[in-house]
Amino acid sequence: MPEVKTLSEGIFEITKGKKYLATKNLAPGMTVYGEKLLSIEGSEYRTWDPRRSKLGAMVLKKFRIPLGQDSKVLYLGAASGTTVSHVSDIVSGGAVYAVEFSPRSMRDLISLVARRRNLHPILADAGKPNIYAHLVEPVDVVFQDVAQPNQAEIAARNAARYLKSDGYLLLAIKARSIDTAANPKQVFRDEIKKLEEAFEPKFEILTARDLNPYHEDHLGVLAKLKE
Amino acid sequence: MKLEAWFGTLDLGEDGKVLASDPFSKNVRELALRSLSLREPGKGIPPAGFDLRSAALACGFAGSSEEYDSLLHEVTLDAAKLQISGALTPDQRIILAVEALDDVNETANVLSERLSEWYGGYFPESGLSGKALARFVAKYGSRKNVAPEDPLYAKASNSMGAELEAFDEELLKGFATSVCSLYDRRKQIEAYIESSMENIAPNLSLLAGPMLGARLISIAGSLEKLAAFPSSTIQVIGANKALFKHLRSRAPSPKHGIIFSHPLINTSPWWQRGKIARAVAAKLSLAARTDLYSGEKVPSLAEKLDAKVQQIRLMNPEPPRKKPESGLKPKGKKKRRQ
Repeated sequence: MPEVKTLSEGIFEITKGKKYLATKNLAPGMTVYGEKLLSIEGSEYRTWDPRRSKLGAMVLKKFRIPLGQDSKVLYLGAASGTTVSHVSDIVSGGAVYAVEFSPRSMRDLISLVARRRNLHPILADAGKPNIYAHLVEPVDVVFQDVAQPNQAEIAARNAARYLKSDGYLLLAIKARSIDTAANPKQVFRDEIKKLEEAFEPKFEILTARDLNPYHEDHLGVLAKLKE
Repeated sequence: MKLEAWFGTLDLGEDGKVLASDPFSKNVRELALRSLSLREPGKGIPPAGFDLRSAALACGFAGSSEEYDSLLHEVTLDAAKLQISGALTPDQRIILAVEALDDVNETANVLSERLSEWYGGYFPESGLSGKALARFVAKYGSRKNVAPEDPLYAKASNSMGAELEAFDEELLKGFATSVCSLYDRRKQIEAYIESSMENIAPNLSLLAGPMLGARLISIAGSLEKLAAFPSSTIQVIGANKALFKHLRSRAPSPKHGIIFSHPLINTSPWWQRGKIARAVAAKLSLAARTDLYSGEKVPSLAEKLDAKVQQIRLMNPEPPRKKPESGLKPKGKKKRRQ
């Protein structure tokens, strides 16, 4: 008999032969990127591959995930929607504003979005948050996975506009896209410092952990606004 | 203060309270088009932290939070679809064609190598390769079928190759036909690129040639991006490795990237190439800008480029003498390139 353990609201660990990370499927019967579907006691779960999702890796790295059933999320760097689909599962009664800049990725994202009513796709540059000001409400969580050299600045600009004062920032920093030559540890230290001091608003870092072995040279960060 | 939201226009008082509101009708397509028009800067954007959802509920645009989500979902989805359908501009089509051409080239080479390896066992003396071999095999199959008037007839009759049995012959003939059709496809794509380049970038096409021009657009990402590049960037596009080696260490700067395939550059003697590459890049950058912003053909660009190249050739007729210490490390203080 498979065993279902809740790791965080809407995020489960299922033991069926081996352990799977999973979320409850909001669009039953549909898979997004070839993941497994597990039916247990009338609910359908989608397995979540932490190697393909930085948020999934953060869960396994014991981050506190500040997402609940009714959370509003601003998701920067939605790409083809692998992680977005799981966030959409978790915040089943909330809203996800999925910002992506590449029309090519948006094409894949759209086929996913069409079946999930809590997803709102936005084809825009996350570095210019004013472009989507007429669409996005204040959110509980800003999640960022953009792999840009100025990602700390992008996070700050979006948080300034859209993050509620008691909200959280979750981000994945990719050392290789900030400086290909520098030592990743040094890049991480510099980026943390930037988040803490360089821009307005400033952040208080709650957790920062390397996402090894799921993602190489990536740092996961959970932060909130500095009082 | 007036502000624009995706569902309507709001009038905001000093204290941030909504004074008046003018919600739109719930037509998804209209709302999507409006939402796209609001992306332009300068429209009344809501202040940071403004709660659009409560405003929409208060002004009666949406009856419930669920309805708000459901409408916003449809509007953003429709807007994104509209943007996607507009994203495949003519220069994007050229880029896809250039990428397809590279794939076809690579595949044709791999398969024709395979054919030459395979057919070599049956007729090693043919001396054919690539396209010619593919055409030969597709036409005759076994070397026994070579027509007497074919120049290879004598070689084919005295070949040391193995007998090609009917079963194998069928397979090889089919394989060769596929390779032939790849070469045909390559021609077709090249013709497509040439004619589209003539339409969307006539000046670039004239100055660089359609293939080089298309490759420049492809690497830059779009004609707009290419036009925004300084000419020094255009000069070294495609020489990334050499450029970064130069920036990081004391390596010499690259003189040319993919523009090296320009006949003005690769037919010139080595000591003029850097100077000519600089001149060509300068004019290519002008050409790209003219193509993007006016689209009219400006023949004087080519004339000016020719004049400039002539001048460079006249000024530098002799190769410079190589420095005696070249290849050795300079003595004393190390000078760093700035």
